[in-house]
Amino acid sequence: MNLFFKIFLWFLAAIALMVGVVVFLNWTTQSEPAGSRWQGSVRNQMNVFAATAAQIYDSEGEPGLKKFLQTVEDVETVTHLEITDINGKLWMTEGDLAGNYHGVITNALTSGAAELELSTPDTALGAKTFTLGNGQKYVMIVRWERPRATPFFGESRLRYLRFAVLLLIALALCYALARYLSSPIGKLREATQKFASGDLTTRVVGRLGNRHDELGALARDFDEMAERIETLITSQQRLTRDISHELRSPLSRMNVALEIAKQKSTNGNTPVLERIETESKRLNEMISQILTLSKLESGTQVIEKMPVDLNDLVEDVVADADFEAGAKQKAVKIARADRCTTNGNENLLRSAIENVLRNAIRYTEVDTTIKVSLESENGLALIRVRDFGQGVPEDELKNLFRPFYRVGEARERKTGGIGLGLAIAEQAIYAHKGEITATNMPDGLEIVIRLNCEISVAA
Amino acid sequence: MNKILIIDDDEELCELVSEYLTVEGFETEAVNEGDAGLKRAVSGEYDLAILDVMLPKMNGFEVLRNLRETSKMPVLMLTARGDDMERIVGLEIGADDYLPKPFNPRELVARLRAILRRVHVENEGDGNPEKLKVDDLELSSRSRSARIEGSEVSLTSVEFDLLFALLRNAGSIVKKEELSEKVLERKLSPFDRSLDMHISNLRKKLGPRNDGGERIKTIRSVGYIYTAL
Repeated sequence: MNLFFKIFLWFLAAIALMVGVVVFLNWTTQSEPAGSRWQGSVRNQMNVFAATAAQIYDSEGEPGLKKFLQTVEDVETVTHLEITDINGKLWMTEGDLAGNYHGVITNALTSGAAELELSTPDTALGAKTFTLGNGQKYVMIVRWERPRATPFFGESRLRYLRFAVLLLIALALCYALARYLSSPIGKLREATQKFASGDLTTRVVGRLGNRHDELGALARDFDEMAERIETLITSQQRLTRDISHELRSPLSRMNVALEIAKQKSTNGNTPVLERIETESKRLNEMISQILTLSKLESGTQVIEKMPVDLNDLVEDVVADADFEAGAKQKAVKIARADRCTTNGNENLLRSAIENVLRNAIRYTEVDTTIKVSLESENGLALIRVRDFGQGVPEDELKNLFRPFYRVGEARERKTGGIGLGLAIAEQAIYAHKGEITATNMPDGLEIVIRLNCEISVAA
Repeated sequence: MNKILIIDDDEELCELVSEYLTVEGFETEAVNEGDAGLKRAVSGEYDLAILDVMLPKMNGFEVLRNLRETSKMPVLMLTARGDDMERIVGLEIGADDYLPKPFNPRELVARLRAILRRVHVENEGDGNPEKLKVDDLELSSRSRSARIEGSEVSLTSVEFDLLFALLRNAGSIVKKEELSEKVLERKLSPFDRSLDMHISNLRKKLGPRNDGGERIKTIRSVGYIYTAL
């Protein structure tokens, strides 16, 4: 799951949890501490009702009181009201409260204050005495119902709308927050990928905007790192180029000096001079190969790719190799060649196949024929190069493509390789996202190159 | 005696090459900077220039480009080995041949002689038919010029010789070995791509035939054909 959704869902969950907690707290606080507050307010109202009842009776007589009692009974939280005299006899009202709740009436009569008795946590019976102008004392008994706690979203139909608006705001907020946090990371990732694929000029600060948080700092750090790597790689590339140029200058001079020496030499010196020439050629070859390899290994070189007809390429290289092998009484032949076109760099692919073939020519026995085949199947091209030499010890196979790796010192020197050909081939094939492997056969070695192949026709 | 101008920033190399070429019968002069070299080259005193690509101030390509504006003087370029771009650019701008550094002096002399022989033929005529015409393409061996429907195509002398050889055998295969020996005056060696490179430059300069077909066809590992309509 991507970061955006993770952040989005986490925030949404957090908001949902918060709302849940608030609703819960609201509900619990309303039922508990509000209970005592309710009792207090009931007492107050009892006092007011009793005092008012006495006043109204004194000024307006029975009809006035009746009216007032009616209003009291209409109060939402009042469910019933009775009045008795001090002996418990009902006066002007009816009901069975006075008969059933002697305790609270007695309390009210003795204390003179408003008294309460809870029949359930949500219903209370209140009693309060009052005295009329004519000296008669009565007790007012009222049954109160506790007002129900209002739900968080209220009770009207609007509550759905309110809920929806809240949800929308929460969603929008989560979305904005998740975007804000995840989009710079996406951009950083994009930049990293671009950088990794070889575009060393990639920078991110400009694309992230002016952020002053950790992500902004990360972007600045990335740019700083990119800057350093770019300088490092370009200076390293310049260095290898310069070194190769500098090494070649004396080599050039040596070659010319060598020929001048030959011009002037007596016959006796010639073999030694020839030897110097061979060594200088080797040195030169080595420098070129190291350069090629370092260019390929750095992976920063932009490789121009276009459709390459592998069939033509293999035939071409094999023809050249066969010519070269002929001088050593060896041969190279094509055993099978499917038609197949790949997207790649012809020069690199040519040098890969060439290096593998040269290696095979070096190691195959005299009077044997190296077999080359190009097979294409399922969008894959397989180029097999099979020699008939001594093969390679099984545990050294994996080292075969390492630069300067030698299988048996003496043998290598005799064959004249410098140990870079297969390393170059491997890097060239890697640059095409292909694979190169070596396998021992009963009587030789087989190297297989695997490449992606766009168009193929079996031969 | 042929006068050779060497333009290379490596003074010691210039001295050595001069010494070697003198023994081989050339007269030489060396210049170590590109702009100075260009001045000497346009003076017209020399038969050929050996031009290094890596030069301070004005690099070899710029020297060659400037030189080609006024002069057809033969130029052999010294390029860094393994750098295909340098080779291709050099030949495209109009170098007659190239040699990767470090080079073998014997090969240098062989190439110099080949180029000079060609120039000599250019001046004296070589018994080849004076004019060759296939379809819209006309070659004149006297002026060593190529024309397509009357408008001139600028070719280097190697390109001209290659095209001449192909055109003379228009419609049949000319083998790579033959082209290499007769035109480049060296044996065809495996993995040498310079013939292909010259041919590909020729193709670019000539463009396709009127009917859209390719003028020069490659016969894999054998040679090339100039196809007539």
